[in-house]
Amino acid sequence: MNAHPWRQRLYHLVLWVVALAFFMPVLWIFLAAFKSSGELVSPNPVFLFRPTMDNIIRVVQEPNFLDYLRMSFILSIGSVVIAIAVAFLAAYSFSRYRPTGTNFIMFLLLSTRMVPAPAVVLPIFLMYTALGWAKTFHGMILFYVMFSIPFSLWILKGFLDGVSLRYDETALVNGGSRLHTMFRVVLPQVKPGLVAAFIFNIIFVWNEFLFNYILGGQGTTMIPVLLATGVKQGGMTDWSFIAAISFIYMLPLILAIYVFQRYLLVGMTFGTVRGEV
Amino acid sequence: MAQTTFPAETPAAASYQQARRRLPMARALDETRAFPVILIGPVLVFFIVWNVVPLLWLLGVSFYQYKLTSARPAEYIQFENFIDIWRASEVWGLLGRTLSFMLLTVGGATLLGMLLGFLFWGSGKLPGRRLALTLLFTPMVLPPVAVGTFYRLILDPIFGIANFFTEKLIGQRFDFLGNKDLAFATTIAVDVWMWTPFMILMTLAALASVPKAELEAAEIDQIPWLKRIWYVILPNGKFILMLGILLRTIDAFKTTDLPYLMTNGGPGNTTEFVGLSLYRTGFEAFQMGEASALAIITLLIAIAFASIYLYVLSYRETRAQLQ
Amino acid sequence: MTPTDLSREHAALVKAAKAGNLNRRELLARGAALGLSATALASLAASQRVASAVARQDNPLAGQTIDMTILGIAGWPPSRLGVDMANELFKPYAQETYGYDVNFSFEESPFESLFQKAATSLQSGSAQYNIIISDSQWLGALAEPGWIVRLNDIIAENPELDIQFEEAAAIGYRIYPDGSDNIYGFPQEGDTIAVFVRQDLMTDQAERDAYMAANDGEDLPQTYDEWLEVDIDRYERICQHFTRPDENLYGTAFQWSKVYDFVSCYAYPFMFSNGGEAWDPATGQVEGIANSEINVAGLEHNKRFLQYAPPGATNYGIAEEVDVFTAGTIATCWQWSALGPQMMNQLVPGEPGEVADEARPVTPDMVLIAPPPGFPQEDGSLNRVYTLGGQPWVLNAFNDEAHQQVAIDFMKFWYLPETQLEFSRRGGNSAVTAVLDDPGYEELQPHFAAYKYMIRENRSKDFWHDPNYAEMLAVQQEAWNGYIADVVESAQLALDYTACEQQGILYDAGRSDIEPSEACADISI
Repeated sequence: MNAHPWRQRLYHLVLWVVALAFFMPVLWIFLAAFKSSGELVSPNPVFLFRPTMDNIIRVVQEPNFLDYLRMSFILSIGSVVIAIAVAFLAAYSFSRYRPTGTNFIMFLLLSTRMVPAPAVVLPIFLMYTALGWAKTFHGMILFYVMFSIPFSLWILKGFLDGVSLRYDETALVNGGSRLHTMFRVVLPQVKPGLVAAFIFNIIFVWNEFLFNYILGGQGTTMIPVLLATGVKQGGMTDWSFIAAISFIYMLPLILAIYVFQRYLLVGMTFGTVRGEV
Repeated sequence: MAQTTFPAETPAAASYQQARRRLPMARALDETRAFPVILIGPVLVFFIVWNVVPLLWLLGVSFYQYKLTSARPAEYIQFENFIDIWRASEVWGLLGRTLSFMLLTVGGATLLGMLLGFLFWGSGKLPGRRLALTLLFTPMVLPPVAVGTFYRLILDPIFGIANFFTEKLIGQRFDFLGNKDLAFATTIAVDVWMWTPFMILMTLAALASVPKAELEAAEIDQIPWLKRIWYVILPNGKFILMLGILLRTIDAFKTTDLPYLMTNGGPGNTTEFVGLSLYRTGFEAFQMGEASALAIITLLIAIAFASIYLYVLSYRETRAQLQ
Repeated sequence: MTPTDLSREHAALVKAAKAGNLNRRELLARGAALGLSATALASLAASQRVASAVARQDNPLAGQTIDMTILGIAGWPPSRLGVDMANELFKPYAQETYGYDVNFSFEESPFESLFQKAATSLQSGSAQYNIIISDSQWLGALAEPGWIVRLNDIIAENPELDIQFEEAAAIGYRIYPDGSDNIYGFPQEGDTIAVFVRQDLMTDQAERDAYMAANDGEDLPQTYDEWLEVDIDRYERICQHFTRPDENLYGTAFQWSKVYDFVSCYAYPFMFSNGGEAWDPATGQVEGIANSEINVAGLEHNKRFLQYAPPGATNYGIAEEVDVFTAGTIATCWQWSALGPQMMNQLVPGEPGEVADEARPVTPDMVLIAPPPGFPQEDGSLNRVYTLGGQPWVLNAFNDEAHQQVAIDFMKFWYLPETQLEFSRRGGNSAVTAVLDDPGYEELQPHFAAYKYMIRENRSKDFWHDPNYAEMLAVQQEAWNGYIADVVESAQLALDYTACEQQGILYDAGRSDIEPSEACADISI
């Protein structure tokens, strides 16, 4: 492949074209964030325009925007961190002790993703009401922990299976406690898995709407609810509002993907990297 | 459970026994045979509270006629909800439509994702590779609400940029979301666009798990590409790819957001899928009995799919154990 | 008049209103003549009203702070008006009149998901939303489980709330079950369908000449009064005249979307106006009524207008119509009159000068709002029976005593003549007969003449208030939109299917003793 420089150049060009092709619709939404609404809803698409910051400013000044954004950060990061911690414990147990029914439990956990959300939101809402958890912060965050556990567990177990048992043995032989072994010796070995589980689950919690809409209340609402309820303004579809929020709201995720890209790629291998990433 | 908790032959267990002999008092926690169970405990608690309980509720309610917005008390009607579903002609259409949506969208995203994944394999020297991959992955991190709503504008016959280009290129405008012959295909196309990046990611990860030595050997032996894929790449990357496909299958089967926002299941019922129908029965009509029965059926179908995948995957599991 | 004169006049006016010496008509006329903001009027009224501290101390809530939450429709201007006015005007009024402090917060949700938000909360017996702006169809579903307050006793105890409403509103926004005298709601926003007309196109001489040449000398309607005479056939000729895809101009747009109740609301006029019905509320009979010959013909007639609408119109709802109309793509449009200011691209309701969005070609002076076309009857008269829009306020049955009292106080405030006047000035459609009777009423907003015309004399009516409305609506939307978009082959099939399914829903729910007929077994779409 490196025989002809022009061939390599062509190859690279193709790659960039593919990447940009997928990005185009997203770019169109982002550009919309800097257009006036008349430029947005125009029979002739507007490609050249004088960018305006009005939409961004308007969205940021929306009474609840900053509170909701803060809640998006707190709920996503908080719940995913707890989920990964909890999942790591279980994954360690599954990987090292292989208790009876490991595969079955792993499968059951994955099956929690199979129930359509509209079907379970009501039982959970009723349960929350009975327990007094509806509209509470802990109710919301614990729900998202559960939301994030299955995949974290799968990724982490994959990585732990790939970590040689010699690590555990050496640590234990040298007098380390089991907890010391787990957290100080084995945990650092699965860092890519942790980061991958983190990013992957953040994407889902960050964008989750239905449960937040029904189970959440004032003080636990995230941006997607604002996005869904603010779509219509004055009887019209408020395109610039959607575009501006999407733009602001996506930036942290895009940045995270850029920064942690390597971990994400390594992470998805479930700890089986043997070739080039 | 106690006997099998520590299979004596595993090295971990052996070292554990050793350590235990050496320091009898130091680690009380390690001593208990319940330790592995304690580690799993929190996950089990979460699982029971947030999954088992709601599922039992669904299962129970599926035997009742129970409507929230009615003064009538819930009535036990045995299997009638299931029988009604079995008999209703719409449900078969609904399931068929959902299955074909699922097959086409997962198939499309998988094929395209694998193809592009192979293309990006070995792109190590690509200038700005990190940025290119980041841009490539953006569709899957957009909020579904934004995707669904904004695609209505992008695809609009009057205001949409998609039609601006089709008119420039082939001189025709399309009513992508309103035409009965196009709406289904368009919904699939948008879903494929959104999730192909995920399959590219999984393909890249799968390729990364192929040992370099095996590939180099294949290169030296000049084994044809198809054989290389079959004998070298797939055995190593199958687990990751299959997991990617499994996750996509599950999500595609219950997809709700996208058709709800783009077409509301229309025109007519052409993009009405199980997820949407469940939303309507459970959440607009508040017919909890009927919705629960449909949810249970959906769950069973999803489990059936997952079992097939995992059966295929278990091959890898046995192989790993042999090594 | 000097400023002092003005305020003296104000004070006198307000005093007279308070004492009841002045009827509403007089108050409105004099208030409008004063030309002062009704905000000032209302606050003046408040200060005049109960200057005596005694009355305030009598109030058991005096000195307390009450937080109220209103759940309303997101992005729907009339809902927003209700909440804005609650905070701006009722808050100071309550302090003056009752001596308590009240704060309103607004939770909102789009039309198609507000009911879920309300129902999940109410199901758990929560008083999270003290007052809810409901859509009229939801009355049954909210009332049946006992989630909202039956208001008859409250109205009996508070004569101020015994108000003469327009008949369509008094039924559509208040009564459940149909035909009973149980009152569950107070009209918040009255609404009817209107036709929005691009007056610049209609009055263009070249257009008129071309139209006359093509239609045997018949002219394009020029004024509101001429639109009153327009029948559906002439309207079709007008639509046809302006349909020029190569110029990106089309004749009309209705709402044909499958979302929520859109296609139903805009297809029913073609049935109701010719004597068709949705069902028989007394017996719950749907089959044979909903799929009558009149209704089949009506649905076919409705679809005929699709050829004069822009491509993509099968997905048009409220918002899409605003976009396509203000972008200058259609010559006429059927739309809820509540959106008058938005359809005119108007910044301040009632003041045609200012344009809300400069980049959209349609400006307020280009738009005429008139009653939609009439349907010719055998005796040669024109009949209009269109669908009723609009929303009632309903009160949460789980409110504690204090919140319920505040809610009732707010309702009393809402129907004060000053409040209704201010609501109208901001663009809201009042349903109070006295307000609509005021001679100056039509001048307050460009859409009021059409609204008033359509809400009177049975020209607008609602379809179902049954608690099963959501399921009945879902099958109907699917089938009717399916027919419009060529998925369902005929109007007959769409309506037969709808009627059978709806009959089954009502029968299964025990709402009707009539079973779906045997023919239904073979009908599917």
